Amino acid sequence: MEQRTSSPYPGKDRPVLAVIGVLLVVSTVVFAVTDHRKDWRWYQAEFRKMVAEKFGAEKAATLPAGMKQIWVKDLGRADRCITCHQGILWKGFETAEHPWKTHPVEPLRTHPVEDYGCTACHGGQGWAVESEKAHGPVHFWEEPVLGKAMGEAYSIQGDDKGALMQMNCNVCHRYDRETKGADLINLGKKLVNTKGCRACHVVNGRGGTIGPDLTYVGDKAAEQYDMSRLGGQKTAFAWHVAHLKNPKELVPDTVMPSFGFGTKESQALAALVLSWRRAPVPATYRPGVPRTDPQTTEEIAEEERMKHGPGAWFVSTGCFVCHSVSSLGVKSAAQVGPDLSTAVEDTQKRFGKTVDDFIRNPTGTMSVVLSRQIILTDAEKEVAIQKLREAFAEHQKQKAEPPSAH
Amino acid sequence: MSGTERAVSAKPGTPAPPSAPGVHPKPFWSFRPRSDREAGDAVVSNFLLHWFPAKTYKPSLDWNYSFWLGTASAALFFLLVLSGLPLLLLYVPSVERAYGSVKDIEFVVTFGSWIRAVHRIAAHLMVAAVFLHLVRVFLTGAYKNGTGRGQRREWNWVLGVVMIVLTLFLSFTGYLLPWDQLAYWAVTVGTNIASSVPFVGPEMRELLIGGRTIDQATLLRFYVLHVIFLPAGLGALLAYHMWRIRKDGGLAKADRWTLGSEKTEAPPAKTKTWSLLGVARGQAPAIRAVTLEAADRTVNSVNDLVRRISIVVLGTFAVVSILACFIPSPLEEPANPMITPNPAKAPWYFLWLQEIVTDTTLKIGSFTINGAFLGGVILPTILLGLLTVWPWLDRSPAGAAGIWFHASRKRQNLVFLLVVLLVLAFTIVGTFLRGPYWNFYWPWQAWPELPTRI
Repeated sequence: MEQRTSSPYPGKDRPVLAVIGVLLVVSTVVFAVTDHRKDWRWYQAEFRKMVAEKFGAEKAATLPAGMKQIWVKDLGRADRCITCHQGILWKGFETAEHPWKTHPVEPLRTHPVEDYGCTACHGGQGWAVESEKAHGPVHFWEEPVLGKAMGEAYSIQGDDKGALMQMNCNVCHRYDRETKGADLINLGKKLVNTKGCRACHVVNGRGGTIGPDLTYVGDKAAEQYDMSRLGGQKTAFAWHVAHLKNPKELVPDTVMPSFGFGTKESQALAALVLSWRRAPVPATYRPGVPRTDPQTTEEIAEEERMKHGPGAWFVSTGCFVCHSVSSLGVKSAAQVGPDLSTAVEDTQKRFGKTVDDFIRNPTGTMSVVLSRQIILTDAEKEVAIQKLREAFAEHQKQKAEPPSAH
Repeated sequence: MSGTERAVSAKPGTPAPPSAPGVHPKPFWSFRPRSDREAGDAVVSNFLLHWFPAKTYKPSLDWNYSFWLGTASAALFFLLVLSGLPLLLLYVPSVERAYGSVKDIEFVVTFGSWIRAVHRIAAHLMVAAVFLHLVRVFLTGAYKNGTGRGQRREWNWVLGVVMIVLTLFLSFTGYLLPWDQLAYWAVTVGTNIASSVPFVGPEMRELLIGGRTIDQATLLRFYVLHVIFLPAGLGALLAYHMWRIRKDGGLAKADRWTLGSEKTEAPPAKTKTWSLLGVARGQAPAIRAVTLEAADRTVNSVNDLVRRISIVVLGTFAVVSILACFIPSPLEEPANPMITPNPAKAPWYFLWLQEIVTDTTLKIGSFTINGAFLGGVILPTILLGLLTVWPWLDRSPAGAAGIWFHASRKRQNLVFLLVVLLVLAFTIVGTFLRGPYWNFYWPWQAWPELPTRI
């Protein structure tokens, strides 16, 4: 081996490398520990203790552990609230503290938690699993939990300090005239009608054009408000409350009159207008949305006439889905089968049977229909025969006397 | 020699291990070769020695010449690829789900927020390290050819300029991926500057973002560029850049250091041969040679160079890892084209341009000077063009290569430093001193309170 002068480097470099090795180990420990030390582990452990105390260790052993979430695909929400709020569906923790408290049962009957999650109603950041980031208010998450703390910060009038949450109710319930349990919003809606807001403002497509269209005013960004004359909290909600109390104080050249609203009224209206958002709510989540194709008034009138006319029996029994009975004024939309006015003759020609025999022992399509869709008792079959004869008689009568109109 | 060695090592009764020239039967190489054969074997099989030289001039190992900024940049690039791999499996490049998937990485993925922070901090540091590397190479005149024949250092400099542009573009494409307000509007500002190029500007912007608005097409374009084309391109250029350094005679300082030193006669050794296998076979003729790699000028790359590189690479990793434990990565509101944050800022390394754009947008009567064109297009084009061709404009003697602030390069160094300081000053003003409506705020002046919804 070729020999070289002794290298001056190892003496200094080796300790430096050792220090860096230690730093790497330290940073690994730091990030591993911070990743593991989460508050939710403590909340879960406490809840396990509470369940064990109340219902026994066996019951406590069934509690799920680890991070949990409710994934509501329709609403695009992954709510991890139940990681800490484990007691919401447990009976017996009604008086416990948050986050172990039982959720009131009544609202969950109509809004099952697996279909709605938590944040759709309560607000908050469902992604988060840390208390502050989940509840807010935090930077860059504009939907804080609308709970009692928020209500107290705004000195919400009335007994229900958590009433601000009704703003989230009204995202789906905005077209209700009145929503059960949403008194603040209901008051706002009542004021909109009694004070005639629509004289100047368009709301949901109706109203005057003197003031701005308010249909989606809840989407207006906080930066777009002129907050320069607003004292206290600079928020869109605070702006609306102050503006409703005295419009000229915030916008000196406004033409909006002062209605002399008190704090309660102003808060109700502010909550209502801020709930008017272009939220992507699936149709199945909107109450009162008709889930059928609309009929014209003529179609509805025609149907009413057929229901109560001489051919009413054919309509109520369901024959008219396929068959017209022209002599009795029944017109089928589909007209798949032959007109029943001449059934008495027709069955003879088509099936070589009298209509009585055919109704009693149908063949072909009618045997399927009469055994599966329209099931008639023997007595009802006699009525059917009777009705078909009546229709035929009427048909012959109309044929005998040619229409007088011509 | 090998024959006798084999005869000695083969114990009676045990068959000698099969061996053929060039075959290295062990999975690893020896760090402490006991014979020339083992040494030759170690060289042939050692990957590092084919990237690094076998021997290193002592000045190349100095801390205070290169500050090892190129090594640090390469380490950061390696770390970015490494931390990017897990993110590749977690991030969803769609406008509906990108934001949510980043929230998931932040909140529920094990070590997710740390991995994301490592990736983000390494990316920011890489922009800084690459820039400082460029500044160092300029101020030491290291792009200049020294004494060796056939050196092409100026082309390695051009390669470096291309690589810094690629680095900026890598960072910029990554900026959009979280699909939050910060990302959306930074990319809006950036691509709007691009559209101020006369005639082809709007078309260029359309090609870049895949349409006229920043939407799914933009996200997918930036994503594919960010995870495939740009890293592959930068990786390939990086390998070539490193190889060229060796082929151009190593660091300019070490190269220079041999200038004027006496050539010493190397002891006759069987290490000089036309084929490395000759060394391995022990058949090399002993020849007399003249060498500059005298024993007192060089050290073995293994371990002295490798140890220092380990210090720099692992040290960089340690710094990034520790910073990532304490600096959380921001994630603003989901991207919303209807609401412009005030102020809307480009990524910090483009803020000097944004600052110049706003400073040069002037209205004189009805006449408007388009600042975006001057600050966003003309100025960077001139600067990049000058940087690229500077090695050919630099007329200083070869002896100025590899020396900090050489007297013959005084004027150009001063001008270069002035430009660097101006860029830094504009960056600092744009990053820290500009508030809503791009108004000027001192650090001790509070910005007006930003309103919130509720």
